[in-house]
Amino acid sequence: MVRVRDLSKAFGGNPVLEGVDLTVLEGTVTALIGPSGAGKSTLLRCMNLLERPDAGEIEIGSHRIDARSRFSKRQLYALRRETGMVFQHFNLFPHMSVMRNVVLPQQRILGRSKAEAEHRAQELLARMGLADKGGQYPNKCSGGQQQRIAIARALALEPRVMLFDEPTSALDPEVGAEVLEVMKELAAEGMTMIVVTHEMGFARNVCEDLVVMADGGIIEQGDPQRIMGDPSHPRTRSFLHAVLQR
Amino acid sequence: MLHAVLTGIPLTLGVTAAALIIGTLVSLPLLACTLSGNRLLWLGARMVIDLLRGVPIVVWLFIFYYGVTLGSAKLSAFGAAVLGLGLVSGAYLAEIFRGAVSSVSAGQFEAGRALGMTSRGLWADIIAPQAWRVALPGYTTYGIGLLKDSSIASTIGVAEMVFQAGNFARTTGNGIVVFLLAAAVYILVSVPVGILSRRVDERMSAVVAR
Ligand SMILES: Nc1ncnc2c1ncn2[C@@H]1O[C@H](COP(=O)(O)OP(=O)(O)OP(=O)(O)O)[C@@H](O)[C@H]1O
Ligand SMILES: [Mg+2]
Repeated sequence: MVRVRDLSKAFGGNPVLEGVDLTVLEGTVTALIGPSGAGKSTLLRCMNLLERPDAGEIEIGSHRIDARSRFSKRQLYALRRETGMVFQHFNLFPHMSVMRNVVLPQQRILGRSKAEAEHRAQELLARMGLADKGGQYPNKCSGGQQQRIAIARALALEPRVMLFDEPTSALDPEVGAEVLEVMKELAAEGMTMIVVTHEMGFARNVCEDLVVMADGGIIEQGDPQRIMGDPSHPRTRSFLHAVLQR
Repeated sequence: MLHAVLTGIPLTLGVTAAALIIGTLVSLPLLACTLSGNRLLWLGARMVIDLLRGVPIVVWLFIFYYGVTLGSAKLSAFGAAVLGLGLVSGAYLAEIFRGAVSSVSAGQFEAGRALGMTSRGLWADIIAPQAWRVALPGYTTYGIGLLKDSSIASTIGVAEMVFQAGNFARTTGNGIVVFLLAAAVYILVSVPVGILSRRVDERMSAVVAR
């Protein structure tokens, strides 16, 4: 289970998250939507402590961190080990082959042997439809391929929860569809996922839970079909209207 | 005449290499301080860098030559030259490296952290290799510049190439050819180094161009 309790974060006195509570059950997929500046990325980045929250609690599996009290590096790494993150701009390591991108973190973070890590990497790349890409460098791969490599890189560390921050926003729609397909398969296999997205089809058809954020808070949460069909908050209504217009 | 120039070459190369090594070693802690995010360390490093760069090298060499004593013994001319050129190089190289590090995108840091890398691992495996590629052309250009600047050591009596050529010119009254010869040696060393560096750079950027 992933649980965020009363999470707050400000940047230079400017509150970006205010008392956010969110629970994500094991094996479910949660879509996080809302207008630009709502705090979606910040919430995601607080979950793996890329941003340090000012207050609140983050609990992932058996690891819990209270932002107000001190925590050790060891606790920080333990929490990060439970999460995998996929970014809008992939952020593959450009100076390493695709294979090494997926292998190196396994060696460094899990202490896997090279052979073991390569075996796992090959397995994951094959699952992403990229079995023959291991020897390439990332810049020789298309955007859709790069994003699937990034997913493989994160999965290779066996995270408990995968955090996606607009994974298809930098991609052409048809290429984005390939990535969404992979994510859908992951969901079907029972991976716990939190996905910031503007892909309403994905949110409606794949996600069990829809979370709508605005102005640093969650304004609505529940079954995606219900919320999309009958949003109760006026801001949800106008946001959905704006997104579906596009 | 050829002999005069040739006998100076080892010291020219020696001063250059030693100063480059010292400069590289000095640049790293300066770089670490400027990137540490700690205001005091940043301020300290900035001051050291600006101080070192703000004074002509020849003045530093005289300061170290006349000012630094080891016990009762004065620093040798060679020692003063290497120390002075090395420290100044450290300041310039720190700036070159800082520019290279800031050219690595924030996404690289984030990806490494999100994967759970320690900051040491992040620097060793992700940031430094990428920054090094960016820094290499500037680094070699600086090294070639340093080769030429090593001639300043002649002012404090280091018997490198220019010192030898000057001696020869004074004693024989024949200056032009010996200095042309010295010029040829500088070119003979610096041009191939420049070409090699461009080759390496092209090969690396062919692979990782974004
Ligand atoms: N590192 C930062 N420093 C200062 N302000 C920040 C920082 N990161 C985010 N913000 C601010 O926090 C607010 C929320 O940003 P966030 O990126 O979480 O929004 P978002 O919901 O992900 O928006 P988008 O859909 O545009 O990605 C914005 O006003 C943003 O300007
Ligand atoms: Mg965002």
